[in-house]
Amino acid sequence: MSYLPCGTYFQSYADDHKWWRTSFIKSKMILMVILLAILPYVVDSQWLSVAYTINYYILAGLGVQLLIGYCGQITLGHAAFVAVGGYTCAMMLLFVPWPQSMVDAGLVYPITIVCAGFLAAIWSVLFGLPSARVKGFYLIMTTMAAQWITVPLVITQYVAQIGGRGQAFSIPPDMIKIGPWAIDSDTKIYYFSVLLVAVCLIAMGNMVRSKLGRAWIAIRDNDIAAETMGVNIVVYKLLAFWVAGFFAGVAGAFYLSALFFVSPEHYEWFYSLLWVGIILIGGVGSIQGLVFGAAFVVIVFKVLEMAVLGASSALMASYPELGWMTTKFIFFKEACFGLAIILFLIYEPNGLSYRYWQLKNYFNLWPFSYTGK
Amino acid sequence: MRTRILLLGLALVLICSTAFAADEIRVGSINDLTGATSDVGKDAALGIRECVKFLNDSGGIEGKKIKLFLYDYGYRVPEAITIYKRFRDYDKINLLLQWGTGDTEALSPTVNRDKMVTISDSLSGHLCDPKKTPYNFVYSTDYSTNARAALTVWYEEVWKKSDKWKKDREAGKKPKLVCFYMFASPYCSAPIKAIKDQAKLLGMEVGKDQNVSLVALDAKSQVLGAKQEHPNVIWHGNTTMSVATAVKDAYALKLGADHIVNNWGFDKNLVRMTGKAGEGVIGAASCAFVGMDVPYMDKIVEYCKKVNPGVPIEKRTIRTVQAWLKVSLASAGLSGALKKGKLDGPTIKASLESLKGWYPFNTKNALGRGPYTITATDHRPTPVALLYTIKAGKIELLKKINMQEKFPKEWPKWLGW
Amino acid sequence: MDLFLQLFITGVMLGSIFALVALGWVLIYKCSGVLNLAMGELTLIGGYVCLGLYQSFVKSMPLTTAFLLAIVGTLIIGLLLGLLTERIFLRKMIGEPILAVIMVTVGLSFFFKGMVFIIWDTDTQVFLPRVFPIDPIVLGGVAIGQVYIWSFIAALVLMVVFVSFFKYTRWGLSMQACADDEMAALSLGVSAKFVYALAWGIAFMSAGVGGTLLGNINGLNYSVSSLGLLVLPVVVFGGLNSVPGAIVGGITIGVLQNLAGGYLDGYFPGGIKESAPFIFMVVFLLFKPYGLWGWERIERV
Repeated sequence: MSYLPCGTYFQSYADDHKWWRTSFIKSKMILMVILLAILPYVVDSQWLSVAYTINYYILAGLGVQLLIGYCGQITLGHAAFVAVGGYTCAMMLLFVPWPQSMVDAGLVYPITIVCAGFLAAIWSVLFGLPSARVKGFYLIMTTMAAQWITVPLVITQYVAQIGGRGQAFSIPPDMIKIGPWAIDSDTKIYYFSVLLVAVCLIAMGNMVRSKLGRAWIAIRDNDIAAETMGVNIVVYKLLAFWVAGFFAGVAGAFYLSALFFVSPEHYEWFYSLLWVGIILIGGVGSIQGLVFGAAFVVIVFKVLEMAVLGASSALMASYPELGWMTTKFIFFKEACFGLAIILFLIYEPNGLSYRYWQLKNYFNLWPFSYTGK
Repeated sequence: MRTRILLLGLALVLICSTAFAADEIRVGSINDLTGATSDVGKDAALGIRECVKFLNDSGGIEGKKIKLFLYDYGYRVPEAITIYKRFRDYDKINLLLQWGTGDTEALSPTVNRDKMVTISDSLSGHLCDPKKTPYNFVYSTDYSTNARAALTVWYEEVWKKSDKWKKDREAGKKPKLVCFYMFASPYCSAPIKAIKDQAKLLGMEVGKDQNVSLVALDAKSQVLGAKQEHPNVIWHGNTTMSVATAVKDAYALKLGADHIVNNWGFDKNLVRMTGKAGEGVIGAASCAFVGMDVPYMDKIVEYCKKVNPGVPIEKRTIRTVQAWLKVSLASAGLSGALKKGKLDGPTIKASLESLKGWYPFNTKNALGRGPYTITATDHRPTPVALLYTIKAGKIELLKKINMQEKFPKEWPKWLGW
Repeated sequence: MDLFLQLFITGVMLGSIFALVALGWVLIYKCSGVLNLAMGELTLIGGYVCLGLYQSFVKSMPLTTAFLLAIVGTLIIGLLLGLLTERIFLRKMIGEPILAVIMVTVGLSFFFKGMVFIIWDTDTQVFLPRVFPIDPIVLGGVAIGQVYIWSFIAALVLMVVFVSFFKYTRWGLSMQACADDEMAALSLGVSAKFVYALAWGIAFMSAGVGGTLLGNINGLNYSVSSLGLLVLPVVVFGGLNSVPGAIVGGITIGVLQNLAGGYLDGYFPGGIKESAPFIFMVVFLLFKPYGLWGWERIERV
């Protein structure tokens, strides 16, 4: 939304702040909605699951983007808040004696999603408190500590032990139901995820362009200057943690519908890092960057996985005595993924959204585009 | 560049999907090659490949070749679910082999709904009750039986006979058990209830549990905690690395108690890591160790060398043998189903449940196991637990104990512990 | 009292290994401002390199010589790897936002882990024949494993070496100058590139020693790298840019962990031993965010 064809002028402030400012953008958006709607009819279920994984990463990464990209508060423990959301939702579905009428009406899951969001938000604010005092590396440490205290200690040792042995809470299938729609197939999960992502992205976009967002950006750019300008930085930082935690909780609750159970391994530290990686790859401080980053990471991982599978079965078919090598391919995949992140950060430090912006400008100015750097 | 990678990926997908022959059995296997249990997972995965190769070389199952899909899930439950969905919808497998306790128990409602027969490397007692998990099978004595058997053997062979405990025994003291395991790990905590029950049955005392992480570097504080209770025997429910840590720390701090270990904590590496601290440790095992004198061990060694020449045979452990046992049980189910002419879940299940006095590869005492009898009401394949011990740096068979004969009244009640 | 003493001594000994690894971490941070999340993998690499060398040396020479030679080899290979890593990956990141640099180290950790397991595989590998005897040394009723004693000694020796390196050698002084004020150091003719490269080299070396000692406790596999994260509470306690802080922090965290395991486990069953350092870290950050000896930066608009 950062670009505008020349010759377009706005008469009022409201016009300038519209979501879809020109009819071209509007038609592009409508096209995108149509594309998203027909996707389940053109791809098989494997790619559909890729699609909703992307959506899950977008939801989870939203809070990270808010904290890092808009408020400048680096977080490396976001999986903890997603975990709180996921577990709140699962525990409420399993252990609260819901009246049958509510289950039938499909109210239970939406209620738990909201509760998950709130609890995760509170938890996030709790760990955001040190941000009032420390910043930079020390804040990174605190958020990492959030991860280490929440997932391996509180959730694994105490929460997951509720109701007897076993880490995994399987959700009874009829509980995941919104109104009359039971979410039980990949297609339905996909549509649900698209809807949720749309709602959250719009909410985020609106927040960012309001007073709240401007305060966050001021804190990001220079917190001391922001304070002297009259922004209450403690309150706004904590608000950022609150909102980020809420999104994380929603993400955690959403992912339950895709997997039908929850275990601490959904929320390893790896994911916290991955989500930060996503926004760096996509572009810091850009909502569409988040979408690009999530899509890029999930698709690259999928393609690498398929390449490894293909390569190992090809190897097994032609040189069966080299079967032991296939184990190495998996590590090769891991190494490649690491290398991809590194190379991306070295050679594309502004992220994919910057490339996208360049591309748009190129076509915008075509045929007189300026190609020099 | 990215498009090129994508094209490459697509091309590989095409290669994968063209290899589709109707006359084959499709077996999916979820293994851990990169995750927290990859130290033992790799060996098991190699073993599965070798055994499938062996079966295919010797004519397949009822003339049909097995096509194996072996994917890594990094010991992450969510990944296991994604792979399972792929197996079900895309690879269209006939039978599933699984790895960890966490993912097997998590997937068990799903496999039951899909009627997919599953044989897991997790031998959790919970998976043996057909009322709860009708499509889950285990290929050896479950953890709870292992734990009970190990404790019973210790009680009878060591406590009652050895000179070490003579004074305590004659003073009429009750022996005391303390459990070392990671509370939060489903594998480790699976047999705890059973072993405590068994201790009560044998008239033993039970001390406070000590939490030892699976990646523990030292267990001194736990050993000291246990020392205050003066235990006579320690149950180690973890995997090899942390069992070795605990055994060594117990030796260093002169705990004095004996050690009994569950099957995933007892192998050649334990001997290597503990040295003389490990002398006399008793461990449960699912089958014979590599190199022991049992039928089909020669085949295993032959195929280890043939299929995976890149891995030296000295590095192969009991996990390979376990993998062979697992695939062998799977092949028994598949061949039974093929004889009936139908290769769907219920038929495979029925044919596994009709196994009576079965031996791996239909050879007596093959892989040190058998006879197995699985029924529609009890998926525990055998009441005979194998107990090994470390003697002079070598693993030796200590005792085969038949828990059903020993405790005929209690045995049916222990189902699903 | 016996219990306390035993726990305390064990903690000190174990903590000294953490301290060794933390030392390398602090050095990188001090000189180049990089928060390195690949420390666990550096430890893993060091351990495996030493194991590989040891196993090939021990065939032709006595045990002690073989082990010492293997350690020397590990140090040399570590130095080279450190220089290479800095040259290939991190030099290009100079001046980028800190978060990007952190993510590069995360990428490095994936990369290193993948490479280590491609080369050495995932099954547990053990130093055989055993380097340190399994029998503990008993001092005044407290039993201490010999590996632990040696790691404690190694940590002390390395600390002395590092401190004197910083204080008395030209390279060390230039590293300190660079850490203090990069611009001023550059204008006085200190080569920042050289300093960064050296820092990574030394970090690889100290992590290599740490990895070797960890590998000697049990064996080497996947789980060794997870210990790399314990470095973070250690450095937070000591202050991110203090070498003595890393040593004191390492030992304190080791002691804390053991005491928590020994005394608190009864009240909070499960996991308290592993999580205690991180809980402690949060509390510490709230009250003394710059650690014991860290530099407090005064900010201006």
